[in-house]
Amino acid sequence: MSVSFTTGDEDEISTSEHERGKNRGKRNSNDKEKKKKGNGRRKASREREGEEDLQDRTEKREKGKKRRAKNDLDEKQPEEEDEEQVKVKNGKVAKSKKNLKNETTRKIEQEKKEEGDAEEGKSKKKKKKEEKDRGKQTEKEEEKKKKHKKETSEEDNEEEEEDEEEKEVRPESLSPEELEKLKEAVDEKKKLIQGLRGKPWPMKKKLVTLRESQEFVEKYEGALGKGKGRKLYAYKVMMTKKWMKFQRDFENFKTACIPWEMKIKEIESHFGSSVASYFIFLRWMYGINMILFGLTFGLVMVPEALMGRPYGSIPRKTVPRAEEGSAMDFAVLWDFGGYAQYSVLFYGYYNNQRSIGWLKFRMPLSYFLVGVGTVAYSYMVVIRTMARNANESGVGDDNSFNFSWKMFTSWDYLIGNPETADNKFASITTSFKEAILEEQESRKDDNIHLTRFLRVLANFLVLCCLAGSGYLIYFVVRRSQKFALDGLENHTWWERNEVNMVMSLLGMFCPMLFDVISALENYHPRVALQWQLGRIFALFLGNLYTFIIALMDEINLKREEEKVVKFNITMWEASLYNGTVSENSTASPITIHPADIPRGPCWETMVGQEFVRLIISDTMTTYITLLIGDFLRAVLVRFLNYCWCWDLEAGFPSYSEFDVSGNVLGLIFNQGMIWMGAFYAPCLPALNVLRLHVSMYLQCWAVMCCNVPQERVFKASGSNNFYMAMLLVILFLSTLPAIYTIVSIPPSFDCGPFSGKSRMFDVIQETLESDFPAWFSKVFIMVLFYIQTKIQIAFIQLAIYYLQSTSKSYKEANVELKKKLQTVTLSELHVVWILLLTFEINLCFEIRALVF
Amino acid sequence: LVHRYASIALAFLPLLLTVIIRYRFYFVLFYRAILIRIWKDCVTGLTREERAFQYVLTHATPGDPESILEAFDEWCSKVEFISNIGPKKGKILDRLLLEQRPLTVLELGTHCGYSTIRIARALPLGARLYSVEMDQRNAAIAEKIIRLAGFDDDTVELIVNPSDEVIPRLRSDYGLERLDFVFMDHWKKCYRPDLELLEGCGLLGKGSMIVADNVLFPGAPKFLRYIRKCGLYEWKIHRATLEYSRGIRDGMAELVYQGIK
Repeated sequence: MSVSFTTGDEDEISTSEHERGKNRGKRNSNDKEKKKKGNGRRKASREREGEEDLQDRTEKREKGKKRRAKNDLDEKQPEEEDEEQVKVKNGKVAKSKKNLKNETTRKIEQEKKEEGDAEEGKSKKKKKKEEKDRGKQTEKEEEKKKKHKKETSEEDNEEEEEDEEEKEVRPESLSPEELEKLKEAVDEKKKLIQGLRGKPWPMKKKLVTLRESQEFVEKYEGALGKGKGRKLYAYKVMMTKKWMKFQRDFENFKTACIPWEMKIKEIESHFGSSVASYFIFLRWMYGINMILFGLTFGLVMVPEALMGRPYGSIPRKTVPRAEEGSAMDFAVLWDFGGYAQYSVLFYGYYNNQRSIGWLKFRMPLSYFLVGVGTVAYSYMVVIRTMARNANESGVGDDNSFNFSWKMFTSWDYLIGNPETADNKFASITTSFKEAILEEQESRKDDNIHLTRFLRVLANFLVLCCLAGSGYLIYFVVRRSQKFALDGLENHTWWERNEVNMVMSLLGMFCPMLFDVISALENYHPRVALQWQLGRIFALFLGNLYTFIIALMDEINLKREEEKVVKFNITMWEASLYNGTVSENSTASPITIHPADIPRGPCWETMVGQEFVRLIISDTMTTYITLLIGDFLRAVLVRFLNYCWCWDLEAGFPSYSEFDVSGNVLGLIFNQGMIWMGAFYAPCLPALNVLRLHVSMYLQCWAVMCCNVPQERVFKASGSNNFYMAMLLVILFLSTLPAIYTIVSIPPSFDCGPFSGKSRMFDVIQETLESDFPAWFSKVFIMVLFYIQTKIQIAFIQLAIYYLQSTSKSYKEANVELKKKLQTVTLSELHVVWILLLTFEINLCFEIRALVF
Repeated sequence: LVHRYASIALAFLPLLLTVIIRYRFYFVLFYRAILIRIWKDCVTGLTREERAFQYVLTHATPGDPESILEAFDEWCSKVEFISNIGPKKGKILDRLLLEQRPLTVLELGTHCGYSTIRIARALPLGARLYSVEMDQRNAAIAEKIIRLAGFDDDTVELIVNPSDEVIPRLRSDYGLERLDFVFMDHWKKCYRPDLELLEGCGLLGKGSMIVADNVLFPGAPKFLRYIRKCGLYEWKIHRATLEYSRGIRDGMAELVYQGIK
C-alpha cells in the first residue's frame, strides 16, 4: 500500500522536476490527460489512505516529505560534487572559492524554500481534494509560482488569458503557461551557469554557452516580475549583481595589495609550486625583517641619532686621529670602517648616558630590550607559523598507498606553462617507473653489501669534505688575526677579505660536490634530497660555528689588549694631571680633542663589523654567482648555439635550474647571521631588508629569464614546515652564542651603551632601582624568583603549543575521514574502485612498455 | 705569492672536483676521440679509418657481417673511438628495419660502412640500399669493408658526393620514386636541409621512415625544432647513451612521414 503511494509521489516529482523542463512542448499538448492520470492515481491513493487513522496519515506525510527532501538532495549531489572538483582545482584562488560558497549557500536557501512550498502545496491539495480538473491545474500553477519565489499574486495568474502564439517578452500578454515556461527556461539557464565549471566540455563551448545563457537570463529575468514587484525585483537583481561585482573587485584589490603576489604567481605557473614556495618563503622572511628593522630603527638608531650627543662630542663618537686619513675611502662601503664604524650603525657609538633628550629616553635599557625583543619576537613568529602550517597541511600517510597517491595527486594544477607541464608529465612517468623498479628491487635485494659499502664511502667522503672546509675556515680566520695584528694596511684586498671569500666560496662549491657524491649512494630522489639538505645544513652550520669560535678567540685577544690600554690610559691621564696640578687650579683646564684621546679596542664593534662584512660578502657572492652562473651562462648558451659543434641547449652545459634547497638554506643561514650579529650591529636588519628586497627582484628576473624548469618538478606541499623547522633550529643555534657573549663577557669600558657596567644585563637592575619605586623592584625580584623556574616551563609551553596544534589537525583529519566514510555509499565506492583499477592497469601497461 | 693565495685557491678545490667527477665521461671522450687520434695519426701516418680497416681485416671473418660488426665494436670500445651507431642503438635500428621491411633505403653518411652493413643485413630480399658519402678516402675504405662483408653492387650502392648534391639527382640518375627508409648519420648541421630537400623532391611517401642518429649529442637542435614545428611527421626519440660510452646521453629520432593532410 505504501509502495503505491510512494511511486505515485515519486512520479509526480519526477514529472515536475525533469519532464517539465525537458519536453515542454510535448507536454503542453497532452498536459491535461497526463494530469488527469496522475490525479486519478493520487485520488485512489488518497482514498485508501483515508481508511487509516489520522496519526498514521501524518506520519506518512512526513515520510513523503522526507523522501522529497531526499530526492532534492540526490539531485543536488552531482552538482555539489562538481563544485567540489572545482574547489579542489582552484584551491588557492580564494576568490572563486568564496563565490562558490555564496552559490552553495544561496542554493541551500532556495532548497529550503522549495521544501516549504512543497509542503504547503500538499496541505492545500488535501483541502481541495474534491475539486475538478481546472481547479487542480490552477493549484498546481500556484505551487510552481511559489517555487520560483515570485511576487506575483494568485489573482493575477487567474486573470491571465491563454495565448500560445505570443512570443514577445511582454509579461502582461503572456499566458500563465508561457510565463511558466519562460521561468523554467531561465531557471534552467541559471542552473547551467552554475554547473558549467564542472562540465566536461571544451573551453570554447563552455564560453559560448555561458555567454548565451547569461544573455538569456538577463533578457528574460526582468520580464518575469510584474508591476510594483517587478521593479523591486529588477532593483534587487541589479543590486546583487553590483554587490557581487564589488566583492570581486575587492578581492582583486586585496590580491593586488599583497606584495609581489603577481610575480610569484607567474613564477608558479612557469616553474611549479616548489620554486614558488622559495619566493613565498623569501617574502615571509622579508616581512619578519621589516619588523625587526622597525624595532631597531625606531627604538635604537633614530633616538640615538636625534637625541643623543652629536658626532665628535666624545671619543667613542669620533674617528680616531690615526684613521682620519682613510675614514672617507671608498673601501668604507664594504669594510664598514671609518665614519661608518663611528656611527649609529654599530654598538660602540652608543653612549652609556642613562637617559637622553627631552623625552628622557632610556637609551641603554631600550638597546637591551630591543635586542631581547627581536629574538623573542622571532621565536614567537616562527613557532606560530609552524603551528599554523601544521594545522593547514592535512595529515596524511604518504607511504602506504603509494600508487594511488601517485595516480590521483601527482599533478600540479598550478602549472600553466607547456614546457613545465611536459617536464611534470615526464617526471610523473619517471616516478612511476621508479616506483615499479623500486618494487622489483625490494623483491630481489642482491648486492646489498655493495650498496652499503658505497653509502658508507659516500658519507665518509662527505665527512672528509666537511672537516676540510672547517679546517680551512679556522686556518683562514687565525691568519686574518695575524694580519690584523700586523696592521691591515700592509695587506692586499684579497688577504683582508680572505675569511669571507673562503666561507662564501666553500658554501657555494661544497654542495655541488655533495650532489656529485650522492650519486654513489643510489637513493630514491626524495631521500637523496633529504640527505643533500642535511649535508648542506651541516656544512653551513660547521662553517658558521668555526667562524664564531675563531671570533671568540679574537674577542679574548681584544680583551687582553683592552687591559693594557686601560692601564696606559690611567698613566696618560695621570701624566696629564701632573702637568696641570703643578700650576694649581687657577689655570684653564686643558681641552683635548676627542679624536686624540686613547681608547680601548671595543670588541663588540669588532664582532658587529665582522658580521656585517660577512653579510656583505655573502650577498655579493650570491649576486655574482647569479650573474655569472645563470645569466652569463644563459647568454653564452643561447648565442653560441648558432655556431657550436654540439647542441648547447639540450646537452652540456644547457641552462641552469633553480636550486630550491640551496637557496632556501642560504636564506636561512643568512637570517641566522642576522640574529647573531644584530645585537652588536643595529644596522644588520636594515641591511638584510635591503638585501632581501634586491634579491626578490633580481632572483625573480633571473628565474624567469635564464633558468629552465626543473627536470624533477616536485610539489612543495609539506616542505614549508620543513623550512620552518630548520629556521627554528638555526634561530636557537644563533641565539646561543649571542646569549653567551652577553651573559659571560663584561662589556668594553669605553664604548657602547653598557660601558662601565660589569655585565650588560645590569641595565635592568639599574632601571629597577632608580626609575621605579622601591616596592616595585622588590615585588619584581620576588616575582622573578618565583618565575625563575617557570622560564624553562615557558619553553616547554611553546613546544606544547606546537604539539597541541598538530594534534588538533590530526583530530580534524580523523573526523573528516570518518565523515567521508559515512557519506561514501557502497555504489560510489564500487565506481571509484573500478576507475582506480582500470587506470592503474592501463598506466602499468604503458609504463611497463616504457621501462622494458 | 703561492702561499698568499693558497687558501682561496683551496676553496676552489670542491668546484674542481665536482667538475671532474660530473663531466668525467666527456673528458674520457675528449681523450679517446681527439687526443689519441692525433697521437696515432702522428705515429702511424695513417688515418683513423685506415687503422680501423686494418684491424677489421686482421680480426674478422670475410663474408660474415656479424663478425665484421663485432670487430668494429671491439676496436671502437677498446682501441680508439669512431662514432659509429654502436651496438645498442644498432639494435633499435635493426628492430625498426625488421618492422618496416623497406625496399629502397637511403643512407646519408657511410663513414666506415658500419651502419651500412648493419642496415644491409637486415634488408629483405630484393631491397636496395643507396649509401652517400662525401669523403673520397672514407668511401674507398667503406667500399672495401662492404665488399668484405659480402654485399654486392645490387644490394648496396655507394655514391661518393655531398648529400645536398645527391638528393636532387636521385630521381633522375637512379630512377627512384619513393624512399621507404632514410638513415641520417652525416654532418649534424645537414640534417635539416637534407630533410627539407627530401620533402621538396617528393621522395618521401606516406609511411616513409626517417631515422636520425646523434640528435642529442652532438645534437641537431634545428632539426628537432623543425620536426616539432612542421607537423609532417609522427616522431619520437629513442633515448640511449652515446656509442661506446656509458655516461653521455644521446638519442635517435624516428620519424614517420605523414604527408600533408
